[in-house]
Amino acid sequence: MLHYAKIWLASARYSITRTLMFRGDFFVWALVELFWMSVNLFTISVIYDHTDGIAGWTKYQMILLVGTSLLIQRFLMGFFWSSIFEMGRNIRSGNFDFFLAQPGNIMFMATTRKLDPDSLVNSFIAAAVVVYAARQLGLDPGAGQIALYIFMVGCGVVIHYSVLVMSISVAFWLTSAQGIEGTYFTLMEFSRLPRKAFAGLVTQGLFVWLLPVVVVTNTPARLLFEGFDLGLAAWLFGAAVVWFAVAVFVFHRGLRRYASASS
Amino acid sequence: MFAALAKYRQVFLIGLQSNIVYRWNFAVRGFFSLFHLAAVVILWSAAATGRGEIGGFSLNQTITYFVTLLVLQFFISAFNEDYQISEEIRNGLINQFLLKPINYFAYRFSIFVAARLVSGLLVILPLVVALPVIYQYLSYPSSVSGLLLGLPAMAMSALIQFSIAYCFGMLTFWFLEIQGFVILSMAIETVLGGQMFPLDLLPAWAYSIAKCLPFYYQMYFPAAIFTGRITEMSAILQGYAIQAVWVVVLLLINQALWTRGLRRHTAVGG
Repeated sequence: MLHYAKIWLASARYSITRTLMFRGDFFVWALVELFWMSVNLFTISVIYDHTDGIAGWTKYQMILLVGTSLLIQRFLMGFFWSSIFEMGRNIRSGNFDFFLAQPGNIMFMATTRKLDPDSLVNSFIAAAVVVYAARQLGLDPGAGQIALYIFMVGCGVVIHYSVLVMSISVAFWLTSAQGIEGTYFTLMEFSRLPRKAFAGLVTQGLFVWLLPVVVVTNTPARLLFEGFDLGLAAWLFGAAVVWFAVAVFVFHRGLRRYASASS
Repeated sequence: MFAALAKYRQVFLIGLQSNIVYRWNFAVRGFFSLFHLAAVVILWSAAATGRGEIGGFSLNQTITYFVTLLVLQFFISAFNEDYQISEEIRNGLINQFLLKPINYFAYRFSIFVAARLVSGLLVILPLVVALPVIYQYLSYPSSVSGLLLGLPAMAMSALIQFSIAYCFGMLTFWFLEIQGFVILSMAIETVLGGQMFPLDLLPAWAYSIAKCLPFYYQMYFPAAIFTGRITEMSAILQGYAIQAVWVVVLLLINQALWTRGLRRHTAVGG
């Protein structure tokens, strides 16, 4: 465990040094993410100028939900996004060989190599959005509730990480996993919607239960203003464990097919 | 004149051929945009529950606006033209155009028109598949005048879309990497182009400002005419005029960037 912590710290140090070398890039990308986060919040604000509620949720409940979604997204992008997508490109080009020769678990090495400090900086803004919405709702969560919220956000990141690793592992079979990035952003749109808005059986089955992008954000958000729901929390934790196990299985199955590439 | 047109007609035909090669990419992209449409329907249906309308328009009119937007995106949006131009400048591929009697803007625009023709026709495929589900939400004006009046706006929107992408491509003369600028601008274009919500939902003062910006004419203006959100003739004519001014301004900016950029160009590679 300590061995992996050391490896991860070395990668983090490398990513931060690299960011400091390209400060202009860091500034532009941090601004890009900030703009996109503002776009989502602004949209909610405009919609609420013309309605009293979305599936029974008030404006600040929705902002809390969107803030939670943005927080999970920022962590996912900050810690794993670049590494996972680079993995897809490396599998195609044959550069994935480099990870096979490294001293550690291949999935860990390949998916944690690069950090994106611009996303991590914006995670503070996303957290501030959550705090602001909670204040507007007059919420005063206890330490236990906050700890549980953080734990659930963590489960959400694990679920998204697992789904992404699985999607990119397709490259082991098909050589190319292009287009997943854009599709994944579309999927994120569902995570910013209240669960009750999914009225249809198909959409509910697909996005709420099968691919739990909706539960991932709704459960921690509701924990803050409706209290603890043991059933949903257990489902979220269970989903995180199952999805992670499936991702490990698919990745290693795919790895068996990896035959490098000619130079 | 005709000789020049024949030249770009050939470019258009080559563009058509090379984009037909990517027909599956466009079709798959079209199918995935149905997911976006699903998210839109879920969000706006939930917002309209109990009221039946949003900003003076029925839920069906709102959904119709987003469906129209989706079709327009595939017909007139710049997909990756900025990156393609950037790549050609960086790799020195534009050098060949400096030695030939070919206008680079007209060359790229001919390819853009071909590409959008292919992607626009291909998006009809997923829409036909989804039609049994989305049909109940569609509510277009009964007269064809909206369709006829929307077409000139749509043509000018395509020019604005391409010109903005071309401007970003030209930035490669000054910056090695333009991706950050493009995605930053995309966030602004998405909101002020009416892709997140119909712009008429903005507060009146913000809507009047948006009307003066080019983004309004990138997507919202033709979509609003097609779907009956803008019906007054005076408003349409005023829109045409402002849109035409933006087309000219952007073309001038493009020309200035090209001339200035070439002074910095070192013609490496090619």
